[in-house]
Amino acid sequence: MIQGLVQLFIFQALGELLSKFALSFIPGPVLGLVLLLVFLSLHGKVPEHIDLVGSSILQHLGLLFIPASVGVVLYLPLLQANAWAISAALVVSVVATVAVTAGLLKALSKKHGTP
Amino acid sequence: MNAPLPAHSFAQLPPISEIWVYLSGSPLLALVLTLSAYLLGLTLYERSQRNPLANPVLIAVLVVTLSITLLDMPYAKYFEGAQFVHFLLGTATVSLAIPIYKGFASLKGRMLVLLLSLVAGGVTSVFTAVGMARWLGVDESLVRGLVAKSVTAPIAMGIAERVQASPTLTAIFAVSTGILGAVLGRYVLDVLRITSWWQRGFALGVAAHGIGTSRAFSVNAEAGAYASLGMGLHGIVGAVVIPYATAVWF
Repeated sequence: MIQGLVQLFIFQALGELLSKFALSFIPGPVLGLVLLLVFLSLHGKVPEHIDLVGSSILQHLGLLFIPASVGVVLYLPLLQANAWAISAALVVSVVATVAVTAGLLKALSKKHGTP
Repeated sequence: MNAPLPAHSFAQLPPISEIWVYLSGSPLLALVLTLSAYLLGLTLYERSQRNPLANPVLIAVLVVTLSITLLDMPYAKYFEGAQFVHFLLGTATVSLAIPIYKGFASLKGRMLVLLLSLVAGGVTSVFTAVGMARWLGVDESLVRGLVAKSVTAPIAMGIAERVQASPTLTAIFAVSTGILGAVLGRYVLDVLRITSWWQRGFALGVAAHGIGTSRAFSVNAEAGAYASLGMGLHGIVGAVVIPYATAVWF
């Protein structure tokens, strides 16, 4: 388990370094993701210990954004004043996004003949 | 035979206020609060047969928010302790490579079609949300928080910092979007007569990231795999494109 955690931390650290010194417009963890993806593709499979730790972290991904989300207490008055408009924007946006993505997938795969 | 308790057992216990000061000074209180609120959320979620409306994160945020308000604990103080959980967001982002890599295996030459749909979906997400919010007169400081809301929360918060948006608002909007997508997605897909599982899953992953993905997994394994792929690719593409698009547009 520790082995997997250390390897994930190493990829995260490499991503942070790359973001700091070369590609500052991409967040470090995303670069770490890409580096790990490249490593996995070269390796040809997911090493067992990385899979174990990574999958358990992802299974409880929700837990990790609780601390930041609790910051909502700082925005309550502003959110209350805009509650209806924000909800409407979120609903319309998510419906449109699902519709456009799925609609285009369907149309394009018909054209290319992939079922 | 009730022997009187030795006096020192009480006398040596510090007053409750002192215990409180000690506890609230250590990160333990915030950590225990965060983890137990999440466990409570998970339990209620399982009890509701995984109803997306009983989202464990939403429940946990409500419980923690209420608790720190009642305890009169400032948010900064809470975060000082909870930051140890927060830190793992970066590690979780890196771990997203695993489902993306596994998703690649089942692609069968659909990559181009998937990428085109992803870009169209991502653009739709940003433009409809920001456009609607502005049209309805939402305060401009909130509008920025909407930019990254369809991207998976750990990456969205990284993007938020780069576009001068609040990571907190972005996280809240991302979680809300995930819940809405998980609840409403199937109706939209039914109306459009999308029947392939991979198309349904991918659209849910693009629009409603992690929460949509877990919804997709609970319906069909192929839908789930494609939803993970949609979420992951949207994360990578979004992290690169959204900061630029925002700089041009705002």
